[in-house]
Amino acid sequence: MPRATWPLRNGRPVVSVLLTLAATGHQIGCNLLADTGAGAAHVGFEVLLQENDCHRCGGIPAQGVLLGGAYVGSFPVFVIRVQIPALSFDHYVRAVGVPQVPTGLDGVAAFRFLNRFTYGNFGMPQQFGLET
Amino acid sequence: MSALASVENQNRELARRINEEARSNPASPYAGKFVGIANGQVVTVSEDLDEVVRRLRAVEPDPQKAFCVEAGLDYNQVQDIWSAR
Repeated sequence: MPRATWPLRNGRPVVSVLLTLAATGHQIGCNLLADTGAGAAHVGFEVLLQENDCHRCGGIPAQGVLLGGAYVGSFPVFVIRVQIPALSFDHYVRAVGVPQVPTGLDGVAAFRFLNRFTYGNFGMPQQFGLET
Repeated sequence: MSALASVENQNRELARRINEEARSNPASPYAGKFVGIANGQVVTVSEDLDEVVRRLRAVEPDPQKAFCVEAGLDYNQVQDIWSAR
């Protein structure tokens, strides 16, 4: 089974993904906090990103969502392309556009995204990884 | 209202009605599917979001004139995000 692992950042689990910029087609790397407590299995989003990044990636508007907890209120959602080359993952997913993301990171990978994979530390306490 | 804002409103209103239908009628052809809308019209319906995006981009290259909805979800339910900032 293909597996990708990444070192913890400030002790927190992350996943690294590639986004594609609409204007140039260039790819940018993003480190997302892996947060199984973000949303549920059947919600209308898979990741949270800065709203500006959603626009830069040419996101297609999708049904907005209501959030509580660290983010409170109504937020827009966009469909964007997300890639994890090591896993041959290349799909469109729904990203909530938020004004701020966790310090030092580029966004949040919510439970619906992580739940596509087998996830965990795979016996390596300083790593977090995804397996298909 | 600008032409773009009008299209966006039409897309959102159609998505709202489709979701309402899917939630009230599990036999709806939209229930549990991703629905792609462009310029106020349903363009594609599929269980595969990638396929919906491909069709939408082929029909309407401007993302602002397109819209996606997963029909049947409760978008009025608050989803908690526990991540610390």
